[in-house]
Amino acid sequence: MARFRDTALSKIQTIGPRFLPFADVATEGVPLSRLLRLSLFQVTVGMALVLLVGTLNRVMIVELAVPATLVGLMIALPLVFAPFRALIGYRSDIHRSALGWRRVPYIWKGTMLQFGGFAIMPFALLVLSGYDQAADAPVWIGQSAAALAFLLVGAGIHTVQTVGLALATDLVSVDEQPKVVGLMYVMLLLGMIGSALVFGWLLDPYTPGRLIQVVQGAAVITVALNIIALWKQEPRDRARAASVQTQPEFRDAWRLFVQGRTAVGLLVVIALGTMGFGMADVVLEPYGGQVLDMAVATTTRLTAVLAAGGLVGFAIASRVLLDGADPVDVAWWGTLLGLPAFALIIAAGPLGAVTLFVIGTGLAGLGAGLFGHGTLTATMRRAPRAQVGLALGAWGAVQATSAGIAVALGGVIRDVIAAMTNAPEMRPEAPYTPIFALEFAFLALTLAVFFVLRRREAGLFQTTHYRPAQDRPDPSVANAACHVGTAAASTRGYP
Amino acid sequence: MSNDPEKVWPTGLTLKEAEEVHSYLIDGTRVFGAIALLAHVLVAVSTPWLG
Repeated sequence: MARFRDTALSKIQTIGPRFLPFADVATEGVPLSRLLRLSLFQVTVGMALVLLVGTLNRVMIVELAVPATLVGLMIALPLVFAPFRALIGYRSDIHRSALGWRRVPYIWKGTMLQFGGFAIMPFALLVLSGYDQAADAPVWIGQSAAALAFLLVGAGIHTVQTVGLALATDLVSVDEQPKVVGLMYVMLLLGMIGSALVFGWLLDPYTPGRLIQVVQGAAVITVALNIIALWKQEPRDRARAASVQTQPEFRDAWRLFVQGRTAVGLLVVIALGTMGFGMADVVLEPYGGQVLDMAVATTTRLTAVLAAGGLVGFAIASRVLLDGADPVDVAWWGTLLGLPAFALIIAAGPLGAVTLFVIGTGLAGLGAGLFGHGTLTATMRRAPRAQVGLALGAWGAVQATSAGIAVALGGVIRDVIAAMTNAPEMRPEAPYTPIFALEFAFLALTLAVFFVLRRREAGLFQTTHYRPAQDRPDPSVANAACHVGTAAASTRGYP
Repeated sequence: MSNDPEKVWPTGLTLKEAEEVHSYLIDGTRVFGAIALLAHVLVAVSTPWLG
């Protein structure tokens, strides 16, 4: 009887873990299918971004008639959390868990925040716009509810993306990182393209009921995709759970992260370049609508054109990086491409040439794709293994903050100029041209900083011979370190 | 194997690990509940029912 019980128990024990969300062991090579599954979290992030910056932006202004300033403010709110990405990444690096997990708890919490924000968002927006009897309700209810919804979604996006990318970096070796970055970006963009098209299609014709269905549907899809993405990705680690080592404070961890490297210079490049590419995101659609007389459904597709350009950029970047190009070079070429792109967009307004505008938009997407892939790969490649979360948090903080500032700045510039010179003889593109010109200037500035970064890097390389693989205490990658080191050295073009 | 008092049936997790997994479920339920409550309040503001 006792033997029967033991066999039964051992049978059940082999079944049990199959239904639990951990990976079995830290396997050496992670198959592409598993990485693809992990990258689903980027689809939800892309969906959330399109919904906030593209679809709801338009719905709030046009269909719900919310004042544009309030809309801009609401969309800028998620930005409040962006700088905390570095902190979130750092917290996940030092997270203590009985399971030895570092990333999954944060991705799960981020998912819940994102879900919660979307679940209340449509109602908050309807109350904000004074729909039905909400017109009699105090104004602060709608405003604070909408603000809360946007804050929740923002906090969720920041957490999920930062920690998700850290998990992806944990799982693969250095020479495979360009592939993962490409995959992550492609999935982000597929999420954006797909949801831009689907939201545009679903919300035409617009009804309040449809808005609720679409946004809440997005909430449910977010949770579903993120659970699929997380399942059995991060291995359980009893050794890490049992270890009682003291962890550095955030300030010390940061100091360790930036010292003796060009980390800060790269962050400056990311900030400037993202500002340069990002400012157009919100004004492209109204520019197409007001200046070039494009219809609603067509302007929604502009986001898709921008994303398609980016997709091509990521494909090219992944290819050349896997072939051994330097990620900083790739980012440089992307920035360079941005200059003619914005020149075309500026020219399209006075000429009334929609084709020129669409080509410029696609080209801007291509440049942004190369730039984004190059800078993120550089960030991952340079991240010390114990500080992956912090490194990607810093990347995300800078990237998201400058993207948000760029978007807000674009909106503000347009409104200020439109309000200042409200003369009937003014050309319709007048509020927009300065924005695109400013982007052009930012990109030129980025190129200058690239140059400085290059000089400093060359100097550092001569003095320290920094190798990305040298600061990896993690024993699970120790066996990979030797071939990773040589591979990394060869992929960066160093002898 | 099955005599380890720390391990919980049937998954082979230790008590602490099992409690941690459970805590994610509990947190998720709490957040869901709070969000649902808030959503109902907002709906009631714009289109009141039973009133």
